[in-house]
Amino acid sequence: MGGELRYEIGQNAYIKLVLHALKHKTSATNGVLLGRLVDEDLVQISDSVPLSHSQIGLLPALEIALLQIEEHFGAQGLSIVGYYHANERYDDFDLGSAARNIGDHIHRYFPQAAVLLLDNRKLETLSEGKDRSPVVQLYTRDATRSWKQTGSDGNSRLTIKEPSANIVLLDYILSEKWKGIVDFDDHLDDIGKDWLNPDLFK
Amino acid sequence: MVGAVEEAQLNRLENQVDNGGGGAWEYLCLVRKLKVRRSEKVLKHGLSILNDPKQRSKLGGEEWTLYEQVAIAAMDCQCVDIAKDCINALQRKFPESMRVGRLKGMLLEARGSWKDAEVAYSSLLEDNPLDQVIQKRRVAMAKAQGNISGAIECLNKYLEIFMADHEAWRELAEIYVSLQMYKQAAFCYEELILCQPLVPLYHLAYADCSAAIAQLSKGRNKEDKDSSELHTLAAKTLEKEYKQRSLTKLPLLTATLRNLKLPS
Repeated sequence: MGGELRYEIGQNAYIKLVLHALKHKTSATNGVLLGRLVDEDLVQISDSVPLSHSQIGLLPALEIALLQIEEHFGAQGLSIVGYYHANERYDDFDLGSAARNIGDHIHRYFPQAAVLLLDNRKLETLSEGKDRSPVVQLYTRDATRSWKQTGSDGNSRLTIKEPSANIVLLDYILSEKWKGIVDFDDHLDDIGKDWLNPDLFK
Repeated sequence: MVGAVEEAQLNRLENQVDNGGGGAWEYLCLVRKLKVRRSEKVLKHGLSILNDPKQRSKLGGEEWTLYEQVAIAAMDCQCVDIAKDCINALQRKFPESMRVGRLKGMLLEARGSWKDAEVAYSSLLEDNPLDQVIQKRRVAMAKAQGNISGAIECLNKYLEIFMADHEAWRELAEIYVSLQMYKQAAFCYEELILCQPLVPLYHLAYADCSAAIAQLSKGRNKEDKDSSELHTLAAKTLEKEYKQRSLTKLPLLTATLRNLKLPS
């Protein structure tokens, strides 16, 4: 296996996770990333499902959500390839223990799993419109079985599939599109709400 | 924690005010009563009332409560200047007030001057050592600075004195859950259920904690000691509900129930 494992995230998946974090500004949010492994060195993340915005450490809701997500996306040939997390506080850039544990769990089923942490500083400077790189930090599991941040040495292993994704994201933020996003917690409160968010990008 | 009826009423009022239908003052009163955190809306509508001299004089004495509410909302939205103006107006009216002193402390917090805020709160506590809100602000400051263990310590000390404060118990339970300290979180939820046995949220959260503890200690082999009738009934109800309201998800539900080894 030559070269490092790269990750490519689709625009829909990327935008969904940022909008989810923006909808619940005062709490931590998380969700799973879905996709597939292509060519042994590229993981394509094509979709994401927002999970919850409260009581993230509790397991039963997580277990049910993962079962349903696997069942639904397994039929389409996609599997859970990663997990994303956004911290409660603005200046918290560490991956908390709950996030690491969930990441470990996903890693057991998909060894190339990635964990994305929302980078609040980058999100803030997004409105200046100059940066095309994603506003998240990538964490992968290295040989010491702990989650390490990658990309800090300059070469970024995470790319967004559509280069104008940040501009679309900015547009959505300005038009307050985050109000329409539904996560699994919302679904459990009111099952009429669909965590697949099928109409979000129409 | 807001019930469904109140939330529906709040949303209806919010839509009405957003679309220019009036009723801003009722909306703001309801937000204050239910203690929900909708700072952007409160800021927008509160300011529109305060900046309009006619509407302001209609409020009479309530004007000052509105100033306080808008100041807090402004700080939540990081509009520190607006907050400062409101607080100055309150200061002019109530020069020696404890409430205004508290707001000034919160303003220092909003600016990030943690040490100054701590000094301000300590001096206020000297005059009034049993002020609950200020003690809770200190916990909030510790949490905001990332000092979670300090926040837990402060909160525990606070709860030794004010054992009946269920909001504080809830906050402590949530902090423990975020640190995955499920046994301590379960203890907090037990206290909450004792104070307020009719709030379903606490029962659900307690059940989640107990499930998490059981899962982590025994592994995946859960024994079904309870009567399976309850499970079957629950599964049937869920299916009916899903058929009515979310038909596309019904196959997912049956698969999930099968995976959880529940009869469906």
